Amino acid sequence: MPTEPSAERGPWSLALRRFLRNRLALAFLGLFLLIIVFVLAAPLWANHVAHTGPNEEHTVEQITVNGEKKDVVSVEGKPIGPQWFGAGGKFFLGADSRLGRDEMVRLMYGGRTSLLIGISAALLATALAIVLGLLAGYFGGWVDSLIARTLDVIWSLPVFLIGLAVGIALAVGGLKLGPLELSSGSLWNPILIISIFTVPYIARPIRGEVLSLSRKEFVEAAIAQGASPGRVMFTEILPNLASTVIVFFTLMIANSMLFEAGLSFLGAGVQPPNSSWGTMITVGVELLRIQPLLAILPGLMIMLTVLSLNIVGDALRDALDPRGKARLDAALQFEAQPAAKPLGEATL
Amino acid sequence: MKKLGAVIAVLVLAALSTIGLASCGGGGSTSGGGGEGQKGGTLDGTYASFPDYLDPALSYTAEGWTAMADVYIPLLTYKHANGVEGSEVVPGLAKEMPKISNGGKTYTLFLRPGLKYSDGSPVKASDFPFAVERMIKLNSGGSSFYLKIVGAEQFAKTKQGPISGIKANDKTGEISIELEGPSGTFTNELGLMFVAPLPQDTPIEDLSGNPPPGTGPYMITKSQPGKGWEYERNPYWAKDNGKAMPEYPEGVVDHAKMTVIRNPETQVDDIERGTYQWMQNPPPASRYAEVKEKFEGTQFRIEPTISTYYFWMNTKEPPFDDVKVRQAVNYAVDAKALERIYAGQITSTQQILPPGMPGYEQFELYPHSMDKAEELMKEANPSDKDITVWTDTESPNNEAGEYFNEILKQLGFNTTLKQINADNYFTVIGNLSTPDLDAGWSDWFQDYPHPNDFFQPLLAGESIQPTNNNNFAQYENPAIDKKMVELAEAQLGPDQESAYAEMDEEVMEDAPWAPYGTRTLSTFVSDEIELESVIFNPTFGHYLTSFEFK
Repeated sequence: MPTEPSAERGPWSLALRRFLRNRLALAFLGLFLLIIVFVLAAPLWANHVAHTGPNEEHTVEQITVNGEKKDVVSVEGKPIGPQWFGAGGKFFLGADSRLGRDEMVRLMYGGRTSLLIGISAALLATALAIVLGLLAGYFGGWVDSLIARTLDVIWSLPVFLIGLAVGIALAVGGLKLGPLELSSGSLWNPILIISIFTVPYIARPIRGEVLSLSRKEFVEAAIAQGASPGRVMFTEILPNLASTVIVFFTLMIANSMLFEAGLSFLGAGVQPPNSSWGTMITVGVELLRIQPLLAILPGLMIMLTVLSLNIVGDALRDALDPRGKARLDAALQFEAQPAAKPLGEATL
Repeated sequence: MKKLGAVIAVLVLAALSTIGLASCGGGGSTSGGGGEGQKGGTLDGTYASFPDYLDPALSYTAEGWTAMADVYIPLLTYKHANGVEGSEVVPGLAKEMPKISNGGKTYTLFLRPGLKYSDGSPVKASDFPFAVERMIKLNSGGSSFYLKIVGAEQFAKTKQGPISGIKANDKTGEISIELEGPSGTFTNELGLMFVAPLPQDTPIEDLSGNPPPGTGPYMITKSQPGKGWEYERNPYWAKDNGKAMPEYPEGVVDHAKMTVIRNPETQVDDIERGTYQWMQNPPPASRYAEVKEKFEGTQFRIEPTISTYYFWMNTKEPPFDDVKVRQAVNYAVDAKALERIYAGQITSTQQILPPGMPGYEQFELYPHSMDKAEELMKEANPSDKDITVWTDTESPNNEAGEYFNEILKQLGFNTTLKQINADNYFTVIGNLSTPDLDAGWSDWFQDYPHPNDFFQPLLAGESIQPTNNNNFAQYENPAIDKKMVELAEAQLGPDQESAYAEMDEEVMEDAPWAPYGTRTLSTFVSDEIELESVIFNPTFGHYLTSFEFK
């Protein structure tokens, strides 16, 4: 049977083949893509099915369900439950609270916010981590000491508690730092908090890899040819970090989403009336006894998204660096040692 | 029949007194305590938020007053009773009600002899002027009540004493207070905790973390701001104060511990399980109907209040410096929606004065109409449309704030909603240096049963203060101010009540607020507590001295 020798394939092609062989990962990648489609379809659903925006209130309105008039919020303050298609798609999952907002619309828009924050925070954290990891690993000496100790300091902080305190301060007063000005309700507040506090989780392994790569022959050859440090770092070393970066970026999206959900649940993340899955759980918890779906649905969405990203991230790691799997596993296991992790870092 | 009834009543009272005296070990009396339940024990109560202050000079919230009502007794106080009866002003540390002379301008009182603070130091007549001066030096929100005392205005400006209008004689216990003019409200104001006497070595600073000694049957022994606080019996109550004030209840429980539990759902669960025996705040809207259905009459009781819930608009700054914009907001706010948001725990009203307050006459200036609101907005055409809307985090006030935010958006404003932790909310919005104080949520429960209480502290120009401000709308109308002063000088009667009703409408024509309702609160206790004995006073809320175990 004719087969193409693997030696003729590039490393990316091989990685893709390995990834495609992982059916579980493919299934969860599909699920993640479905979630993306779900949240991207928010304006379509809001405009053409629910006919309401995510923050529009319908407290005193009535809807017609199968020919029968129903209060969106009862006089006793109970929001209407799921109506599925009984009202033509309006209040498909019911109303979110006594404010009578459409739960389905808020779930879709809330997902956009959660994913936006997760992806943006992960991108920012990864970008910062790459720069810091490259500088520390390549230059060594005092540069390495300074960066590594700074990362150690952040690492040693009770990240969630500090994130919570900073988040509450920003939620009240916004941020004014030179030219940088963020209003109290800006989504950049949780993005900045999450990215800054999660940088060490990527920067430390990257620094380790850079330390190892900078002693390789191809790096020494580039330096011997007169390449500048910037060129060596960004054109010789960085491409070799791709697999590590991709894996950590994927996992970091999941972690950032969990971080955001936690902050928002405690009032320090996304600010009302905007929704994220975290804020929706907060609202739902209050009505847990009478409308349990209001807390369960956003929680389920977070769980499915994080689970799919973690499984895809693991599969990418296996596919991109099968030999490094054991090494990465060991590193992750070491980083997850409870003794080394202060309060609040369990999710990271 | 009338005579027979009187004889039976005397016999019953005599029997109860005997039981009470036998059980109280020689100190004080048991009036108000019921005397049928178990003596002693520890009451575990919960609050949804820590009071604004645990310092009698500073606290200006229902939580703070409830927490300190049986700790700091003013010269006059309110009767330990529910409802209208609880609105009666009675002597506190003073022997009897003040003698009013000099055309209503001089109030003379005498301190009861033998009173002691919970640290053992004697209560002196000069502690009263000290308490007034301390309160003014601390820029307390209650200062405005007492600026009518001769010299107080000057003292407030210079913070240098003494206040010439207060004379105190430590030997005779005589306290003489001279006012700038006659006042129809000063007796009520002497019954507020702001001016409860304190030892003269009390530091001039917020003592919420280490509350000063008081004169009541309980003392606060431990305070952890944000978390909770504890009470013990005042060791000098039984020996001294209780004997000097026999009509003041001594309390039944020996200890009390208040814990802040921010989730009212958890509070309800804890009461049901018996982990805690009382929650100061009402059950959350989501559980209200369920709790009412299951426990009304046994562990739950609805308590009507004299209160107004409202949205304020800063009349000093654009866009709300334009009366048309404020009127538009009033038309846009739908009180019916807010009734649902509060799960039926408010009754809609669009006035400053709430039902039940003398002078209340119902009117409806702004029936809900978005069309009318939009029309007014077009006419006003405000140039500044970027506004910040403030509310606290406590449910359902947070939802009311979100509702208001959405209404303002519908009127074309670009809004930023700020939800502030309920512990700090009034401190933050009461500080005029806080940026962007444009509009927000607030409520007001009567300090005392006089309509002036809904105008002077909240809507008088002189009440606008840099900190601890309660005039959130920063409303200042010289004509209304003048009327307020004139009305406050007279004792309340039918003419004054009509004038207050007129003023209510005049202020609402200016629309500094968008009032939306009056609140019902509740008493919810565990099955270990005698519900009948618990007193909910319209001014101070639940009295600690009224709790007893079955």
